[in-house]
Amino acid sequence: MTDEAMSEMSARRRFGLGGVPAQFGLAIIIAAFWAVFAWRAPGFLSPFNLFSVGRALAVDIVIGFAQMAALATGGMNLSVGSIGVCAVMTGGYLMQTLALPVPVAILGALGLGAALGWLNGFVIARSGVSAFIITLASANLYSGAMLILTKAVPLNSLPMEVGAFGKMKIAGLVSPLLVIALAVGLVLFVFYRHSVLGRQILAAGANARAAKMSGVPVDRVITISHALSGLLAATAGMMVVAHLGAAMPAVGGEDWLLPSFLGPVLGGTPLSGGAVAVAGTMLGALLVTTIRSGLLVLQIGNYWLQLYLGVILLLAVLVDRYRALYQERRGIPMR
Amino acid sequence: MTLFRRLLLVEWSGLAVAILLGALALSVIAPNFLTEFNLYVMLRSLSVGLLVAFAQMVTLGVGQMNIAVGALGGLTAIIFGATIELYGFPLLLAIPLALAIGALGGLINGLLTARTGVNAFIITLATASAFTGINFGITGSIPFYKMPASLVAFGDHHLGAMPYLLVAPLIVAFLLGLFFSRAAPGRELLAFGGNPQAAELSGISRERVVVSAHVLSGLLAAAAAVLAVAQLGSAQPTIGADWLLLSFAAPIIGGAALTGGHISVLGTLFAVLLLGLIQNGMVLAKVDPYWVQFVLGALILAAVGLNRWRAVNSGVA
Repeated sequence: MTDEAMSEMSARRRFGLGGVPAQFGLAIIIAAFWAVFAWRAPGFLSPFNLFSVGRALAVDIVIGFAQMAALATGGMNLSVGSIGVCAVMTGGYLMQTLALPVPVAILGALGLGAALGWLNGFVIARSGVSAFIITLASANLYSGAMLILTKAVPLNSLPMEVGAFGKMKIAGLVSPLLVIALAVGLVLFVFYRHSVLGRQILAAGANARAAKMSGVPVDRVITISHALSGLLAATAGMMVVAHLGAAMPAVGGEDWLLPSFLGPVLGGTPLSGGAVAVAGTMLGALLVTTIRSGLLVLQIGNYWLQLYLGVILLLAVLVDRYRALYQERRGIPMR
Repeated sequence: MTLFRRLLLVEWSGLAVAILLGALALSVIAPNFLTEFNLYVMLRSLSVGLLVAFAQMVTLGVGQMNIAVGALGGLTAIIFGATIELYGFPLLLAIPLALAIGALGGLINGLLTARTGVNAFIITLATASAFTGINFGITGSIPFYKMPASLVAFGDHHLGAMPYLLVAPLIVAFLLGLFFSRAAPGRELLAFGGNPQAAELSGISRERVVVSAHVLSGLLAAAAAVLAVAQLGSAQPTIGADWLLLSFAAPIIGGAALTGGHISVLGTLFAVLLLGLIQNGMVLAKVDPYWVQFVLGALILAAVGLNRWRAVNSGVA
């Protein structure tokens, strides 16, 4: 291995996963938004708003993780929202209709999410067809099946403790959902950095052929990544159930598509695979949640929100692109 | 080469058989199917879908995609409606303007994709969100209702079972067929989609190809939007919201390769017809409308599997 490649490796190792230097700019942008919103909208820093920002952030973070898990292999998962809503309705069904204990119902919903994700991964790995088209099709299969089975009827009388958990405040400010999201982040960070499987996933995402030649079971690794993506999507779904205190067939779906990409991409996860930015995804999600909440408090209305999110995603992609070009020209290894 | 193998190579052969069998089955099962009115309703509902499918097919041809097809359609539709209702533009001015806006949106997509080299998926996902944001920001999700009588009449009238609306997409299909089979720029698009490196080495400009594909895609999305306004009789901000799946389903079922370089205008046309037939059949059979989404998803998977099977069996891949 040449010295250059070595130095690139070590640079990747230093900045690739946590990716703190790459996310420095993102943190500054978030701070600027917080400053503006705190100044223009006094209610923004109220304990009530901070609590609801934190709770929404929890869901955005986990949705981002669900996409990140698929991006790590160089694929993507357009069915994040569909798996999410399938988990929501399954969880609701198990709790309300079958009256199973809440933890069992949650496990069942998470299991379904993992299974649906696994099915995506299995078909992708077996057929060799792009993840885009497989998950576009499966998104519609899953959502369609959910609608056929539930007839789009929401489940409103879940056990009381579900809604109570969503309203719970730790130290009067922090939602336990946010704690769960951060814990998931920590687990993922350790998983991708220190576990053999995590390293194998990143190796397969970076260069599937090279990974295969070095003995990585690429197909299995892709399937597992998609199962993980489904599991995380289902986790986000259960968080929404706790938040709403009900299982609604209208959550998830296409509404999760943009946020799921915003978090990881803003955070510096490359679409080409081979690297993940766990901390970056959390920051990316924080930016999304901040803007959504800020516009709400400023009463600008949800109508323009999509424009801002779209423009921010574009800017992030462009900035990232030009930073890479600049570094290439200066001879600094990327990331 | 046996006859069977040769037939396998014609993408739309299977589709044509499926359509014939489907139509035959429907006419036996549902007596209403062959009525002039039912056929008119079915064909009318296909008109917009055809243009939507073509809009995506063009970007698939160069090996890219356009997630913003629906968002651009929605934005074009409400600007079209606004110029008519608020500013009193005549149709002869409003329609070219709407098409120009679609082309402009496509130009933005194309330039961003070509200049940055970033994946078209993420660029058009972002611009889709921006277009939708502008659409809902301007309208507050309130439609424009006062459309000229001539436009609404164009959306309603029909000659026998043949709706006037269908004329536009058929002309477009003919032109696209000529463009991709006979015209040099069309051949260049496909050559680039098939092998970007080889195409660039033979002097095809990457930027020109990518930009023109996206401009054409935007133009077709805008044309679809104008037809949708004519069909609905009002400019709804939600036009385009449900175009994404169909836009990919039809070209892929029609035999387009996701990797680029290979598309089929006739295949796409037949695929839209088949999807319309299925939807119509489900309505006639009073199937739960929730099944539509499920069936569309299943059809894409089946088509992808079939395309691979055909590629392997005909020895092309």
